[in-house]
Amino acid sequence: MAIIEATDLTKVFRRIVRRPGIGGAVRALFSREYEDKVAVDGVNFTLAEGELVGYLGPNGAGKSTTIKILTGILVPTSGSVRVAGVVPYQRRQENAENIGVVFGQRSQLYWDLPLRESFELLRAIYDVPRNRYLENLAHFSAILDLERFFDTPVRQLSLGERMRGDFAAAMLHDPKIVYLDEPTIGLDVVAKEAIREFITRVNRERGTTVILTTHDLADVERLTPRVILIDEGRVIFDGALERLRTEYGTHRTLVVTFAEAPIEIDVPGAELEGREGLVARLRFDRRLLSAEALIRRVMERYPISDVSIIEPDIDTIVRRIYVEGYQHGPVGTPS
Amino acid sequence: MIGTAEGRRRPRFRLEPYVEFARTAMAREATYRFDVFTTIGSFVVRVYLLRMVWTALYAHNAAPHELSRHAIITYSAVALLMGIVMDIDQTRALKDKLHDGSIATDFLKPIIVPFYFFADGTGEVLFHAVLLIPATLIALLIFHIIVPAPAVLAAFALSFFLGYMVGFFLNFLLNCSAFWTLEISAVQLIVTWLTDLFGGELIPLILFPAFLQNFIYALPFAAMFSTPLLIYVGVIPPSRYLESMGLQLVWIVVLALVSTVMWRAGSRRIVVQGG
Amino acid sequence: MGLGLRRMAGVYRQYWRINILTTLEYRENFLVWFAFTFVYHGSSIAALWIVLSRFPSMNGWSFRDMAFLYAIWMVAHALHNTLFSTVGEIPEHIRDGEFDRLLVRPLDTLFQAIATPGQVFPDELVLAIFTFVAATIYAGVHVDALFLTFIPPIVIGGALIDLGINLIISTAAFWFVKVDALRWIFVQLEQEFTRYPITIYTRSVRLVLTFVFPFAFMNYFPARYFLHKGMSGLGLPPVAGLLTPAIGVVFVALAYVFWRFGLNRYQGVGH
Repeated sequence: MAIIEATDLTKVFRRIVRRPGIGGAVRALFSREYEDKVAVDGVNFTLAEGELVGYLGPNGAGKSTTIKILTGILVPTSGSVRVAGVVPYQRRQENAENIGVVFGQRSQLYWDLPLRESFELLRAIYDVPRNRYLENLAHFSAILDLERFFDTPVRQLSLGERMRGDFAAAMLHDPKIVYLDEPTIGLDVVAKEAIREFITRVNRERGTTVILTTHDLADVERLTPRVILIDEGRVIFDGALERLRTEYGTHRTLVVTFAEAPIEIDVPGAELEGREGLVARLRFDRRLLSAEALIRRVMERYPISDVSIIEPDIDTIVRRIYVEGYQHGPVGTPS
Repeated sequence: MIGTAEGRRRPRFRLEPYVEFARTAMAREATYRFDVFTTIGSFVVRVYLLRMVWTALYAHNAAPHELSRHAIITYSAVALLMGIVMDIDQTRALKDKLHDGSIATDFLKPIIVPFYFFADGTGEVLFHAVLLIPATLIALLIFHIIVPAPAVLAAFALSFFLGYMVGFFLNFLLNCSAFWTLEISAVQLIVTWLTDLFGGELIPLILFPAFLQNFIYALPFAAMFSTPLLIYVGVIPPSRYLESMGLQLVWIVVLALVSTVMWRAGSRRIVVQGG
Repeated sequence: MGLGLRRMAGVYRQYWRINILTTLEYRENFLVWFAFTFVYHGSSIAALWIVLSRFPSMNGWSFRDMAFLYAIWMVAHALHNTLFSTVGEIPEHIRDGEFDRLLVRPLDTLFQAIATPGQVFPDELVLAIFTFVAATIYAGVHVDALFLTFIPPIVIGGALIDLGINLIISTAAFWFVKVDALRWIFVQLEQEFTRYPITIYTRSVRLVLTFVFPFAFMNYFPARYFLHKGMSGLGLPPVAGLLTPAIGVVFVALAYVFWRFGLNRYQGVGH
């Protein structure tokens, strides 16, 4: 059952064009020029209840604009959107009951006071029944180890502790959907792991639908079976992470250690990526050439002492898509 | 570890970065076009208002002999014109940077930090000073303010500059106190209200009851507004220029010394505590 | 949503709890701000006294009358500052993005903006009430049942007029990045226009102060009524001084319409 449906979602911003220098600034006092910027350009996707999806894209790709439309902050220029049966911008408050939001760089906790006070205020805002509130609190404390700093003013918490508090804060009212915007940014390894564990458990145990935007692809590998890739306002891939790997991760690298240094390395079907002493890196497209065939070709030409294969990691794949665009690879169809 | 320029070989002084700071500050101010219109609008409305207040007071009471109705309206208009540049806290960047801790990065740059604040503030003031042109034209055309003889005008300009410097050092001194206590906005506002009242910006000090007048001259505020204004309307005659502006200079020296001491002590604190 | 009011009451209670806890957390800071409030009102009253010691009559109003005029405004203004000063922080929240947070929560946005905890404390209100009592005695106002019945709604109405202005300025932040200067102007104008009887102004200014930005209803009309002063020249009978509550409600309603308009634009155009 689809919990989120976005159809031809488009958002156009009007931006002021600033001219450089003082002359430009003075001129801007009297007249302003505008340009249209299409932040989201005909985005389509559906999410089933209980899915955990990574929403990825480079800076300025339209990620946060999409999230703002889904959460009811912005009204789309055109297209339609339904979240848990509600059009967010038409019935913002009703939509708000269903969602939780964590902005990684912006806390919703009160700086000067302990977590306890922020939670009490949120309990009142979402009107969470007292016993449900206590249950949730106990549950989250167990996973996130909140007790240790529950009564310390937030300003004295570490970033990791604060983020844990923010996660619990966003989940206190049992939202059906949570939007996590860069939730692990700036965190150390231990804190990241705690947050990831929390996301997984909330998704699994409570069936919460999770949309995660992140730059840290380790989050994606660890958490989200499905990814949606957006660039310049358009969805360029939507599907299983594995498919992304097989479709875009077509190039592997063969690392060869030669027995003696060849003068020139030339292997048909492979491209020399780099060479250092006796070690050379050969990049090849596994659709055109199997590893075995390549190794055979290398061995026919040069004496070698060792070989190994590097599989492309998700980071490399996504970087390649951002840089090269999507025209080189097949475009995924919505699942 | 943060180092200061003190105790090390100083690099050759270059003016260029400071000119650049000032330019950036001007451009920054210019982006808030709304502020520009509101500054002019506020000026017009306030002069208009004060004219009505003084007119009502002069109509129903015996006029004080020192200032005619027209002179006091001129006084108020010129005071508000001065306010366009005087009311700027040029060095508030110091307070802000102390608050968010970013001051530490300024100590890492090859610049003399107080000069940076001075340049930044000057840029901001210069931008607002441009607004004086239309505001003065309005004051001349709509309110027909009195224009004194060129010599008096020159004395006023000099005294205004001295008053500006008094204000600058007073602000700098207050912002320096942010080295020790972070909540200084309230103190600054208190000083602003005291300046408005005891600086003679709202009510000429010569209209104050005699016992208050003695007390007022022991404070620096009169040197900011009252002295140039009274020169402008001729209450301070040329024979007393030297004495009046000498007093302004004394205040500049005193405040400059105190703020230098505070800056030194404060920046040492930053070095010791690491921000 | 029918549950709205009960929920808002719960949130509002938490809001004040946090305010008080935060104020206690920063006691020194609180004392400095209290000193500021004291100096602010003290210097305003001192300025009136200085002017009126030199010019004993302002269109027939003595210093005693003017002290009462000031005190009515002071209570209304202090009530506004205590309950609604947070509305003035909306532009800052729009600028730093915190405002979006209010839009993803299931309560009215303006209510949430009003109930955004900070360091609010009713100190100014307490000071204002003391000042008002003193000024009432000093001005020799006849305190009867009518006075006691009407003063509280008049003060609330005055606070609503202040809220209306505050809200209109904050709404402008949906169009302009920085509205600090506009706010500063209104703070100054309100401060000066409420200080003197409006009879000293020209007819057009009096009309603006009565019907456009109804500052005159905050203190002039009520003070004129209780001090039995002459007509304003606008043809409004003395009893108009009791209309303040109604004017306050209407003015805030208009400001709210403007707010909704600005909020819709914000969500439509984005930023």
